[in-house]
Amino acid sequence: MKRPGLGTALAVVAFLTFFLGPFCWQVLTSLWPDGELTRPLPSHLTLENYASVLWGRPFLRVVLNSLVVAALTTGFCLTVGAAAAFALAKLEFRGKGLLLSAALAVSMFPPIATVSPLYLILRTVGLRDSLVGLALPYATFALPLTLWVLTSFFRALPDELYRAARVDGCTPFQAFRQVLLPLAAPGLATTAILVFIFAWNEFLYALTFLSTPEKRTVPVAISLFASEYREPWGEIAAASVVATLPLVALTVLFQRRIVSGLTAGAVKE
Amino acid sequence: MRRVSSIVLALGLVVGLGVWGCRRQDAAGEAGGRTRLVFKYQPLWGPPEPFRELLARFERENPGVELVTEALPNASDLAHQFFLTSLEGGARDFDVLVADVVWVPEFARAGWIADLSAEFPPERLREDFFPGPVEAVVVEGRTYAVPWYLDVGLLYYRTDLVPRAPRTYAELERFAREAMAKTPGLQGYVWQGRQYEGLSCNVYEALWGHGGRALSEDGRVLLDDVPAREALAYLRGLVERGVSPATVTGFSEEESRRVFQEGRAVFMRNWPYAWSEAQKPDSPIRGKVGIAPLPTVSGEPGSGALGGWQLAVNAHVSPERRKLAARLIAHLTSPEANRVLALNYARNPPRPAVYQDARLREEAPFIAGLLPMVERAKPRPVTPYYNLISDVLQSEFSAAVAGLRTPEAALKRAQRQVDHLTGEGP
Amino acid sequence: MNPRGSLARERRQAYLLVAPAVLVLGGVALYPILAAVWLSLHRFILVFGERRFTGLENYAYLLGDSRFWAALGNTAYFTAVAVTVELLLAVPLALLLQKAFPGRGLLRASVLVPWAIPTVVSARLWAWMFNPEYGVINRLLPGQDINWLGAPGYALHAAILVDVWKTTPFVALLVLAGLQGISEDLYKAARVDGASPWRTFVLITLPLLKPALLLALLFRSLDAFRVFDAIYVLTEGGPANTTETLSIYAYKTLMRSGDFGYGSTLSVATFLCVVLLAAVWLRLLGREEAAR
Repeated sequence: MKRPGLGTALAVVAFLTFFLGPFCWQVLTSLWPDGELTRPLPSHLTLENYASVLWGRPFLRVVLNSLVVAALTTGFCLTVGAAAAFALAKLEFRGKGLLLSAALAVSMFPPIATVSPLYLILRTVGLRDSLVGLALPYATFALPLTLWVLTSFFRALPDELYRAARVDGCTPFQAFRQVLLPLAAPGLATTAILVFIFAWNEFLYALTFLSTPEKRTVPVAISLFASEYREPWGEIAAASVVATLPLVALTVLFQRRIVSGLTAGAVKE
Repeated sequence: MRRVSSIVLALGLVVGLGVWGCRRQDAAGEAGGRTRLVFKYQPLWGPPEPFRELLARFERENPGVELVTEALPNASDLAHQFFLTSLEGGARDFDVLVADVVWVPEFARAGWIADLSAEFPPERLREDFFPGPVEAVVVEGRTYAVPWYLDVGLLYYRTDLVPRAPRTYAELERFAREAMAKTPGLQGYVWQGRQYEGLSCNVYEALWGHGGRALSEDGRVLLDDVPAREALAYLRGLVERGVSPATVTGFSEEESRRVFQEGRAVFMRNWPYAWSEAQKPDSPIRGKVGIAPLPTVSGEPGSGALGGWQLAVNAHVSPERRKLAARLIAHLTSPEANRVLALNYARNPPRPAVYQDARLREEAPFIAGLLPMVERAKPRPVTPYYNLISDVLQSEFSAAVAGLRTPEAALKRAQRQVDHLTGEGP
Repeated sequence: MNPRGSLARERRQAYLLVAPAVLVLGGVALYPILAAVWLSLHRFILVFGERRFTGLENYAYLLGDSRFWAALGNTAYFTAVAVTVELLLAVPLALLLQKAFPGRGLLRASVLVPWAIPTVVSARLWAWMFNPEYGVINRLLPGQDINWLGAPGYALHAAILVDVWKTTPFVALLVLAGLQGISEDLYKAARVDGASPWRTFVLITLPLLKPALLLALLFRSLDAFRVFDAIYVLTEGGPANTTETLSIYAYKTLMRSGDFGYGSTLSVATFLCVVLLAAVWLRLLGREEAAR
């Protein structure tokens, strides 16, 4: 590893401050005694907010719910999306452009106008108030991004690889699964993070489609902290810190995959 | 590839855990011979036990009923959105719901909440409850909801900085200036000037204080008249003359309360909730706060805006369940329940009689002492169209207090849009 | 296996592979969109208890609705500024993320933190920091306190800052994915030719990065044009609707006023604007693809 130049070091520090500064402020706030929130600095720090979030409210259950929904969404999106993206990038068939633009159109509609009709659909098929039922619309609205990113990824892989696999006697599906899919791992990891966090953050659908308290997701649970006027800011901060940690862990898990991916010679013509 | 599959495995594990952890819950309905009654409400702030006990008592008195509560966010807009989506979709999975004062006419007209006139005749409500909330729940002579608790706008003042509560606007300004002259960095009067429903409450309070009325005799929403212009000019003037900080145009309740509680303001307009916060052990202004009715031009005690929540029955559920639901509402809005909510959650009873209760006067003197303000509380214009016009009111009021438009211009625009929406010309 | 049979088989498998995606998109996404379009042709206001077909009347009203045009202006401004700044920050960030230096892992994990905090919370966090009386931003800045969320000129820019903070990581990730596709050999060749890092960036990285940049631009501008949560939590569109975007206007009309007809019209109008925007990007993207 090279020693970084001064410019690099400065840029790193600047980005870290910008991205992490507010989060650090959030962490500090979560440790701040409530009565002193308006002061420039707290007189002492306290873990009270964490205690009340973890024990006073069943918040870990909520985090688990969010993990389940986001994992379901991600798994579904990647499976359906990777297969379709491969076909779009490497196979010949009619209607490619139509499919890609139709998918794009889906992510152009303001979500708020879709809430009521989706509610009706989910009620009709009996999936309202279930985590699976929530993952279904999430996956649908995350699918366009998945399709587009993965398609451009598969396109970047040389056609020769696919043809060689076919010549070796693979069916298109086998060529996809055994040859191209492993090479697309960085793209899959990138998409997985994007989709996972989208599902993790979504609020509108989760609020409307889930009603049982045991199924609440993180954003909905946090929105329930506030009373009509009062805002227990320390608790909200603590809860959001607790909810952010699993994601940071996941990111660390995925991020090595994102960049360590392609070795230039093996893939590029 | 192995790393990817290990990630997939981890994700699978999480899903498995979650699905395993999910016990199947029956939707509202009959389960094991017991009727599940679902109550959609907003969490009360305070110890959970007294409210739980109140609900448990209903279960004891009605064997065969299992009462389930499902919480909604307290943010009024979010709750409204939830009800609009689910009730429009014909939801039958909750029986009793809470409704803001301004929603009842809307829900009733949409046919979403049941007519409760048989169980709660309007005449009886008028005898038992304050007139303001009754006006809000009786639509075209029929009862559609029952008041649960109410809220009212108040003036908070610092007993150590001013001689007494101001009665007129001029007095408020004079007291504020005198105190500000003595203490540098002190602010005069904080209120709620952000573009949201709280601003409309502040403006209507000023409008009443200037002798104005929200509705004409024939029910038209009045905006473009002298008292309304004076009210907006007064609020804007507070900012321009430095009595209120310029930042008040970004304040909602909590922002004002935090400034006031820190001891940095002489006066504050807020709801009763701020009282218990101000009296907390670590509050810098503990014991130095008084409350009073809002000031007016004339010096008569002013009217605060009426807020609060009502209970209604989902019209989509079966008649038998409706009966049970009405019984639950009767239980939750009884004088006894009013007392529980007042003592434990500082919610103001909607029944005048409860304020005379000896225990309430002794244990919650603050709430009992609010009677004069509550009696004088006025609803924002009681029109079924309120939700339709509130948006226009908020943005035009905001334009005036932020100094983007003169009060005249803002009110002319507001009047034109409101008339268009309600289909009434001048 | 003759080539024609193989081609037919390939096509069959292709249809099989895209079928699930088509099913999901058609089954779940199409209905809500069509339902909204259908509603937009109605006068349907809850409190009036009426619902009747009015054809294009709502659209005619829309054209003369000054609030709609103001919201469109705000939205366009928000999108243009936010997406430009995000792109300008994301490219150096992605280049940095690709470099090897001590602490790279930390930077990679930490840039995603803003994005991982639910918007509902992060917007509150910023509102708290923007608080003019006791927020940390005014405390750190010298000079007079700025009324971030209550003054017309500042509020929209405050919202842009929040959006930039939150979504730059998203753009950076997409750009990074694009950088991964550029062969190391090209850089080597450039080094051999003695090109300066800047020239390498302009002549090699940037052109090859264009598809990824356009893709990021496409998805970001589609999202930014529909921006809702962040601004709603910060200002609810105030003061005096100066931060009201199309989605906020649509939300208020639908969910606050219960005007399902006109609210749907506003949603469809937003959709059409986004379609137009996407068409522009797609043309650029298509030209890029054709050139390759």
